Amino acid sequence: MSTMTAERSDVRRAASGGPRWHGSSVFTQVMVFAGRSLRALREPRLLIMSLIQPFIMLVLFSQVFRGIANGPGFPAGANYIDYLMPAILVTTSTQAAMGAGAGLANDLRNGVLARFRALPVRMVSVLVGRSLYDLVRNTLQLGILLVAAAALFGFAPAGGVVGTVSALALALFVGWGVSWVLIALATWLRNVEVMQMVGFVAMFPLMFASSAFVPIDGMPGWLQAVARVNPLTYAVDASRGLAFGHASLSSVAGAVVTSAVLALVGGVLAARGIRRP
Amino acid sequence: MTDLMIEADDVGRKFGDVAALDGISLQVPRGTVLGLLGHNGAGKTTLVNILSTVLPPSSGSARVAGHDVVRQGHEVRRRIGLTGQFASVDEQLTGEENLVMIARLLGASRAEARQRTAELLETFDLTAAARRRASTYSGGMRRRLDLASSLIGHPEVVFLDEPTTGLDPASRVALWEVVERLVDDGTTVLLTTQYLEEADRLADAITVLSEGKVVASGTAAQLKADVGQRSVTVVLQEPGDAPTALRALREAGLSPLHDAERRALTTPVESSRQLAVVVRALDEVAIDFVELTLHEPTLDDVYLTLTGRQAA
Repeated sequence: MSTMTAERSDVRRAASGGPRWHGSSVFTQVMVFAGRSLRALREPRLLIMSLIQPFIMLVLFSQVFRGIANGPGFPAGANYIDYLMPAILVTTSTQAAMGAGAGLANDLRNGVLARFRALPVRMVSVLVGRSLYDLVRNTLQLGILLVAAAALFGFAPAGGVVGTVSALALALFVGWGVSWVLIALATWLRNVEVMQMVGFVAMFPLMFASSAFVPIDGMPGWLQAVARVNPLTYAVDASRGLAFGHASLSSVAGAVVTSAVLALVGGVLAARGIRRP
Repeated sequence: MTDLMIEADDVGRKFGDVAALDGISLQVPRGTVLGLLGHNGAGKTTLVNILSTVLPPSSGSARVAGHDVVRQGHEVRRRIGLTGQFASVDEQLTGEENLVMIARLLGASRAEARQRTAELLETFDLTAAARRRASTYSGGMRRRLDLASSLIGHPEVVFLDEPTTGLDPASRVALWEVVERLVDDGTTVLLTTQYLEEADRLADAITVLSEGKVVASGTAAQLKADVGQRSVTVVLQEPGDAPTALRALREAGLSPLHDAERRALTTPVESSRQLAVVVRALDEVAIDFVELTLHEPTLDDVYLTLTGRQAA
C-alpha cells in the first residue's frame, strides 16, 4: 500500500476551485441515510436472524395455546391462530422498535457519524433515515410472517385481506411510534449495551402482561389490572379488531394517536439529543 | 474575499471544570499549512472540532473560510473537509458507495457524484478496490478513502487531525505528497501532529499547544532560533588541556562551557562559519581534539523546551 500515485494534475482536479455544490435538501439527506442503512439488507442473514424469534413464537404459541380457544373471554368461533397473529404482528413490530435504540447507539459508534457532523446536513435526517430503514425492514419481516402464518397455520381472519392489511399497517405504525422513544433514549445514552437492556427489560412484561397471547379475563386479578393499563393491550386489541373486521373506531384511533404522540415527543427529544457532539 | 482562511480569536473550551482550550488565537492565510503541534491531551483535537463546527466553543470566536463557526456553521461545513484521527468511513459500504454518499449529501446530483467519485478513486489508487466493502480495506486504504471523502466537495479548508498516526513510513510520505499538492492548488490546511518531522516538512507556520494554550508560534526556523542556538562541541584528547582551551576560546570571543565528564567544551555560535573560529583558536594553542560537532537545534528541542515534557 505504499503507492499513493496521485499525479499533480489529478490532485489539482481533486481539490481546486472551492465548493461546487450547494448542499442537499433534507429529503435527499433522509433518502441517502435510509439507503445507507438499507444496504445492510444485502446480507439476508440479518433479516433471517430477526425472523427466527417471532417465527418460534408463532409456532410454539399457536400449538401450545390452541386449547384456550375454548376458554373464558375468547371470541366465539375464532381460531387461535387468527387471535394470535395480530398480536404477533404488534409484538414483533414493538420488539423491532426496542431494537432500533440499540441499532442507533451502535450506529453512533461508527466513525462515519463523526464525518456527518462536519457536513452541511441536518443531523435529524440521520435519525429519520434510520427510522425509515427500520420501517422497511419491519414491513418485510411482518409480511413474511403473515405469509407463513397463512400458508402453514391456516391464518384466515374474518376481516379478510383488508382487515389483515389494516392490522399490519397499525402494527407497523405502533412500532414506528415506539421506536422514536427508543431512538431518543439512544441519542442521549449512546450505549449499545444499556439500550439492549432497556429493550429487553421493557419488552418482556409488556408482551406477556397484555392481551397478546391469552384473553385478559382468564388472568389473576392483579395481572388483569396490569394488563388493562398496558398500552400494548390496546394496540393488540385494535390490531385484532381490524383483523376480525369489527374494530371500534375508538380503539384504532387510540392506538394511532398514542403512537403519533410517542413519535412526536421522541422525535423532538431525539433531534436535540443527536445534536450533542 | 478575505485572505485569512482560519481565524481563531481567544477560543476557549471547557469540559465541566476542565479547560481543554484556554484562549487560543491563531490565523492561517489562504493556501498555507499550519502545523498544530502538541502531545496527547494538549487540545489539538478539541481545537479542530471547534474550527470544523463539530463542537461549539465555550468562549471566544472563530471564522473559517470567512464564516463564523457558530452562527454560520452550515456555510463553514460546505467549505471544509475533515479527516479525523480515526478513519471516518462507513465500513458497511464499499469505497465507491462511501464517496457517492458524501457527494450526494453535499448536493451533487447522482451523475456528478458518480463522476467525482471515479476521479477520486483514481487519484487515491482505490479504483481496483472500489466495489469492495471498506471493512475489508487495510489501514492505509482506509486513510486514503477517508482523505478522498474529505476532498470530494472541493473544500477550501482541510483539517487533518493526526493524519499519519499509525501509517507505515511509505504511506506517510505518500500522504505528505498529497498534502503538498493540495496546498499548491491553494487549499488551506490545518494539520495536527505529534511528529516534529511532519510539521517541519509540511507546515509554513507552526503553533505549539500545551495544556490548552499556545506556547509558541512561528515558522520552523523562527522557533528553532528562539529556543536552541547552534552550538559547537569539542571533545578534547587530553582532559588536562581544558583550562587552556577554555581560555583560548574566550579570547576568540566565544563563551564556552566545560563538561568535565565528557571531556568536552560546548560553546554557542552565531553561524556555522564560527566553526572555523573554534578550530583556529584551538590550533593556535596546539590542542588536539578527537571530535568536533556542530549541533543544530531541532523541533524536538523546541518542543521539549516549550512544553517541559517528554515528547511522545
